[in-house]
Amino acid sequence: MNKQELLLLAWENLWRMKFRTILTIIGVVIGTASIIVMVSIGSGAQKSIVGELSNIGSITTLQVYPDLSSMGVSGISGGKKDADKIILNDDAIDDLKRIDGVMAATPVISLSDVTMETGRDEYSVSLMGLDYKALDDMRYGTTDGKKPNANEESSVILGQEVLSTFSYSSGAASVETTEILPADLIGKRINLVVSRTNEAGEEEYRTEKVKVTGVLEATGGSEDYSIIASDQLVNDLNEWKTGIKINFDKNGYSEVLVTVEDSSVVTTVTAEIEAMDFTVFSMQQILDSMGSVFGMLQILLGGIGGVALLVACIGIVNTMTMSIYERTREIGIMKVIGASINDIRDMFIAESTMIGFIGGGIGVIISVLISLLINLIAGLALGGESVTISYITPGLVIFALIFSALVGMLSGVRPAIKAANLSSLDAIRSE
Amino acid sequence: MFIHIEDLKKDFILGKKPIHILKGINLDIEQGEMVALLGPSGSGKSTFLNVLGGLVPPTSGLVKIKDFEISKMNENELCLFRREHLGFIFQSYNLIPTMKAIENVALALTFAGVKKDKRLSRAKEALSIVGLADRIDHKPNELSGGQQQRVSIARALVNSPEIILADEPTGNLDSKTSEDIMEMITKLNRESNQTFVIVTHDPEAAQYCTKVIHMKDGVIERTINQ
Ligand SMILES: Nc1ncnc2c1ncn2[C@@H]1O[C@H](COP(=O)(O)OP(=O)(O)OP(=O)(O)O)[C@@H](O)[C@H]1O
Ligand SMILES: [Mg+2]
Repeated sequence: MNKQELLLLAWENLWRMKFRTILTIIGVVIGTASIIVMVSIGSGAQKSIVGELSNIGSITTLQVYPDLSSMGVSGISGGKKDADKIILNDDAIDDLKRIDGVMAATPVISLSDVTMETGRDEYSVSLMGLDYKALDDMRYGTTDGKKPNANEESSVILGQEVLSTFSYSSGAASVETTEILPADLIGKRINLVVSRTNEAGEEEYRTEKVKVTGVLEATGGSEDYSIIASDQLVNDLNEWKTGIKINFDKNGYSEVLVTVEDSSVVTTVTAEIEAMDFTVFSMQQILDSMGSVFGMLQILLGGIGGVALLVACIGIVNTMTMSIYERTREIGIMKVIGASINDIRDMFIAESTMIGFIGGGIGVIISVLISLLINLIAGLALGGESVTISYITPGLVIFALIFSALVGMLSGVRPAIKAANLSSLDAIRSE
Repeated sequence: MFIHIEDLKKDFILGKKPIHILKGINLDIEQGEMVALLGPSGSGKSTFLNVLGGLVPPTSGLVKIKDFEISKMNENELCLFRREHLGFIFQSYNLIPTMKAIENVALALTFAGVKKDKRLSRAKEALSIVGLADRIDHKPNELSGGQQQRVSIARALVNSPEIILADEPTGNLDSKTSEDIMEMITKLNRESNQTFVIVTHDPEAAQYCTKVIHMKDGVIERTINQ
């Protein structure tokens, strides 16, 4: 008996016992839909969080720090001698630039606790000092305005969230606060104010007038809350504030930003830099560890759904076993008129596989609807925004279909063998 | 010889003791014969027929149909053999209640791998041979006993077997219907040279046959050619 005829016969058999078939299919539908919806909630959470973090710029930028174990905690590192310490200076930066896939390596000089005055409001911000000559090689993009040229040392770029940092209005009397956007400041001059306490214990202030040329694209990192300024300017302010002139060649930089060609080399470049005994931090690492957290979340949620499918699986076994008892005579008749052991076995397995597959297919459709509904309701609850709480990936759909068919098939194996081995005469005689 | 049976024995094990049901049967049947198997209840007629049809393995002896040694075949070979050479008719019709008449008949061809449209046309043909052309879409419970038995005859005929084995085909039918069925079987036997072996209690039915075999206690008591 050829496969096509067998499938047709199995199909017809299912519809001859409609009621039982439909009940069993419903079980599989519930099981599959539970798995898909559960896992989709896991992927939805992952998608919305990862999506926010992973734009090109932040993925391809690595933050390199001096070896943490050499920063005063030499005891832990097993007593590395001071002479062996790898210093993150210009020589080291040249080494970094020589690594395959690296486009730029630029030191960052940061200065926190700076006050930004827009004329009307004051904000507490951090400065990120970068070499403007390297700015073009780095992946920083602007949403508004443009990046400063290499010689525009007193121009700055604002991070997206700079104005949402802690702010206080200078005019205490003005009650209404007009919302201003970072883009509104483009072309304007703002003041950066740094303070220090002198030997006499008095506060001293230094104010730098700078021009805003652009607004930085969101990176998901600390840049969003910083102002990017030229390294000379930040260094000046830093020296004024601390009163110490830093010898970067001897002491090294505290942070270097490395820009790589594309996301595919992040892992290899990270490994190479780590081999140089520096500490590397990248968005990729966060994404990786989040990936495993979400992976576990999905397995957990999927497991809950899996219990439902297990119940469905028991349902299939039950249906197929019951149908042997119900159809004993029928099986006997089929054997007498020429069905082989394999025909009967394959027929039963085909039936249960179909139940699994059909249930899986309907389960997919239903879970897509449920997923839409979840997102719709969540969106309404959050005030009409479009949100992704549940996200069904194509892979999940394919997995669910194959899995449910497989569950159906495996559930059918035992009953099928039992049916196939019935003695035809006994089966015919049974009533 | 078409069917050749030599010293056929069949024991059933009940508890630990074998009971001898067929105790050495020797019989030859030629192609196109119509054989009636008579005998008291429990004499082993059905058992003999089932061994002949490969539904029950013999304990010892030789059963040969054409060139096939039934007594040596395994279950899958028997299944193939039944599919191609044998048709069965039972006292209790043994139709599948959830299938229409035409589907019941066509099912026999399904396992032989005949394509669906061909199956249905041949099933229709077989049903019209037994006079049920207007009942093809009826389920068994919508048919009378005589009609159900005709459906089962159509099913036995549909793969054009050389041998048809019938176990009390008229056992559940009134005498008028029995006569109709026996006449139909006789006609088929004459027209298509099919060999029939028919177990029956009914001496009337035996009248239609060319050879009457009387069984008693697992052996053949006498054979009458008529
Ligand atoms: N599967 C079996 N197991 C044990 N004994 C069996 C089995 N099948 C048949 N028998 C026994 O074999 C004997 C012959 O049975 P069989 O059915 O062949 O008789 P029969 O001649 O067809 O009778 P009837 O005319 O009543 O149909 C009976 O005594 C029966 O009990
Ligand atoms: Mg009998």
